[in-house]
Amino acid sequence: MIRRMARSRAWRKFTRNRTALVATGVIGLYAAIFLTIVGTQITDWAGVTNIGSRQGLQMRVLPPKWPGFLESAGIEQRYDAHDWQVSNLNRLFRKDLESMADPSGELAAVSLGERKLADKPIAELRALNEQLNEQFDAVGEVYDIYDEVNEEHHDLDDAIAKAKEGGDEEELAALRAQIEPLEQRRRDAESQLSTALDAVDEVYEELMPQPTGFGGVVYRFRTMFGSDVLGQSISGRAFYSIKIAFQVGLVVATISVLIGTLLGAVAGFYGGWIDSAVMWLISTLSSIPYLVLLAVLAFMFSGHQYFDNSAEYPELQLVKLYTAMGLTFWVGTARVIRGEVMKIKELEYVQAATAIGFGRFYIVLKHVIPNTFHIMFINFSLLFIGAIKSEVILSFLGLGVSGQPSWGTMISNSKDDLSNYFFWEVGAASFLMFVLVLAFNIVSDALQDAFDPKHV
Amino acid sequence: MWGFIARKLIYNVPVYLGIILIVMLALRVQDPTLMKLGKNATPAQIESVSKSMGLDQPFVIQYFELLKNVVTFDFQEESWSHGGKSVGEMLKSSIPMSLAITVPTLGLSAIIGVCIALVAAYYRGRAVDRVLMIVAVLGMSISYLVYIIFGQFFGAFLPRQALGGENWPFEITGYGPLFLGEGATPMNWVSFYMLPVIIGLIVSLGYDTRFYRAVMVEESSRDYITTALAKGASKPKVIFVHMLKNAMIPIITRVMSTLPFLITGAVLMEIYFKIPGMGFQLINALTNLDFPVIQGFVAVLAAMFILTVIATDVLYALVDPRVRLS
Repeated sequence: MIRRMARSRAWRKFTRNRTALVATGVIGLYAAIFLTIVGTQITDWAGVTNIGSRQGLQMRVLPPKWPGFLESAGIEQRYDAHDWQVSNLNRLFRKDLESMADPSGELAAVSLGERKLADKPIAELRALNEQLNEQFDAVGEVYDIYDEVNEEHHDLDDAIAKAKEGGDEEELAALRAQIEPLEQRRRDAESQLSTALDAVDEVYEELMPQPTGFGGVVYRFRTMFGSDVLGQSISGRAFYSIKIAFQVGLVVATISVLIGTLLGAVAGFYGGWIDSAVMWLISTLSSIPYLVLLAVLAFMFSGHQYFDNSAEYPELQLVKLYTAMGLTFWVGTARVIRGEVMKIKELEYVQAATAIGFGRFYIVLKHVIPNTFHIMFINFSLLFIGAIKSEVILSFLGLGVSGQPSWGTMISNSKDDLSNYFFWEVGAASFLMFVLVLAFNIVSDALQDAFDPKHV
Repeated sequence: MWGFIARKLIYNVPVYLGIILIVMLALRVQDPTLMKLGKNATPAQIESVSKSMGLDQPFVIQYFELLKNVVTFDFQEESWSHGGKSVGEMLKSSIPMSLAITVPTLGLSAIIGVCIALVAAYYRGRAVDRVLMIVAVLGMSISYLVYIIFGQFFGAFLPRQALGGENWPFEITGYGPLFLGEGATPMNWVSFYMLPVIIGLIVSLGYDTRFYRAVMVEESSRDYITTALAKGASKPKVIFVHMLKNAMIPIITRVMSTLPFLITGAVLMEIYFKIPGMGFQLINALTNLDFPVIQGFVAVLAAMFILTVIATDVLYALVDPRVRLS
C-alpha cells in the first residue's frame, strides 16, 4: 500500500509543496525528541540505564529567574545573583572540608548543572573564595552609592509629581534642572557598579569555570531559555513537555480516528437503524461540551487511588483526559467518513465484491475503509493539534497534567512572572507549542490540498 | 415551520434526558457527601448534608427533582462552599457575565470574519488573499492561553503602567455589574469585558476567515455566478448580493457550531480575568468538591447547549427551505 501511495498523484503533489516538507521535517524532529525521552524512560524503568531524565530537570543550573541568551541580565539582577552565589559558596567553605574523607559530595552541592567548582586543591579554592568575597565587598560599597542615587532619583520624581499637581511653575523648573546632573550621577554609578561586578565575574569564572566540550554544549542547552524561580532549566522542561504533548496527541487522535472511522463507515454502509443510532449518538455527544464532560469525570475520579494524581502511577492521571477527549473528538471524523462511505458504496468495486459474495462487514473492513485512508490521515493530524491545544488549556485549569512537565503547567506556573517582565518561561513553552502546531497545520493543509483538490 | 420546530424539540428531549442521567450517575460514583466531609465525619453530619441535597432519597426522585429544577429554573439547594448562597442565585449572577463575553464575541467574529473572507475571495490568488491566509494560519497556531496571557499583558498591564490607571479604559482583572445591582453601568462592559471580547475575537478570527473563504470560493465557482456575470451584473454586486445569500447556510452552521469552543474559551477568559461567570464557578466548584453547584451548573450548561443546537436547526431551516421537508 505504501508503494502504491508513493506513486500516486496526491503524493507527488504533496512532495512538491516545499513548505509542507519543511513542516514534516519539524514534526519529525519533535517526534525524535519524543521517542528519545520515552526511550530513556523505558531503559531507566528497566534498570538498564540511570540517566534520570526527570532528575535532570530538577537540577539547579542558574541563579533564580535568570534570563535567556537574547536578554542580558540587569545590573540589580547580577548583584542579586552574585549575592546568592557568594553566600552559597561561603556556606560551603565554612565547613571543615580538609578533614573530610571525601568532600566531593559537598563540593558538588554548589555546582550549577555542568558548571562545577574548578578541579583544584581545596586550599586553592578557599583562597579563590576569599578573593571573591573581597571583590564582592568592594561591589557592596559601590552598590550603596548606586542605591543612594536611585533613592534620590525616586524622591525627585515624587517632588516633580507634587509640584505638577500644585501648579507651581517656578519650583517645577528648578526641580527639572536637577534631573540632568542626577541622571549623570546615576550613569556613573551604574558603570562603576558594572566594572566592579565584572571583576567579581572574573574571579568567579576562575572558581567555577564555564564547562567546555560536551558538557559545555549540554550546559548551553540547559541555560538557553534561562531559569525559573528555583533556578531550574526552562529549556529542559520546555523540551521535556514534548513528551506529554505527543502522548496526549497520539492517544487521543488514535482513539478518536479509530472509533470515528469504524462507526462512520458502518453507519454509512449499512444505513437503516444502524445509521440512525450512530447519528443519534453523534448528536448526543456533540451536545455535551467536552469541558463539562471533563468536569464530571474529574469529579468522578477526584481522590481516586489511581486516577487522581497518584504519585505511584503518574501516567494514569491522564486517563480522564483521554476519556473525555476520546468520547467527544471522534464525532467529526465519523461525520466525514459516513458521507464518504455513502459515496463509495455505490462504486463498482463494492458492487463487485458484493456479487462475489463477501460478507458486508468484510467489505467494509477490506474495501471501504482502506479507501477512506486519506480522510483518516487528515483527521488524525487535525485531532492531534486539537488534543495538544486542549491539554495545555486543561493543565492550566488544573484538570489535566500535574506533577509532570507540560506546557500548560509551565504557563500556569509562570503567568504572574510576566508582570515582572520575565517572559522566558511563558515564552519558551508558547514558542515550542506554536512551532509544533504551526507545522501540523501546514501539513494538514497540504494533505487536504493533495488528496482533495476540490476542497479549497 | 412550527411542525419542524416541534419535531426538533421532541428529537432533542431524549438526548437531554440521557445526558442528565449519565451526568447524575457519574457524579454519584463516589459518595459526594463523604468526599466533601472527609473520612472523619460523624453520621449526624453526613445525614444533614445529604438531606439538604436530597441525596437520601431514591435516585428516580432525585432525577425528576433535578429536571423540575431545570425546567422551572429554580435551584433552591445551598452551595456547600459559598455559605448561604443558593445555586439558583449563583446561576443568576453568573449567566449574564458569561453572556456579556460570549455573545459579542460570537456576533462580531461572524461579521468581521465574513467581511475579511469576502475580501480574500474577491482577490482570490492574489497577494492580499495570500497574506490574509498566512496570517490566519499563523493566528490559528497560537494557543488560546497565550493570546489571553499576552493580551492581558499588552492590553491592560503595560498601558496601565505607562499611562497610569485612570488613562486606560481596560481593567487588568475584576468584574462589575452591567444592568442590575449596585453601581451598575453599561460602561462597566468597556472596563471589564471589552478586553476579553477583543482577545476572543482575535482568536476566533483565524479559524473563521479560513472557513468562510473556503465557502465563498466554493460558491463562486457555481453556475449561477457565471450566469449572473454573463448577464452583465457587476462583480461586487454578484459577490455581495448573489453569493453572500447562498453562502449563508454554511456560515450559520459554522457560527452556531463554534459555540462549544466559545464556552470553553470563555472559561479560560473568566478565570484569567477573574470574572465569576459560569465556567469560573464550575471550575471553582470542582476544586472545592461543591456537589450541588457542579450538578446544577452542568445541567444548565447542557440545556443551553441543546437549545443552541435546536436554534441552529431552526435557523438553518429558515435560510434553506429544503431542510424543513426532510
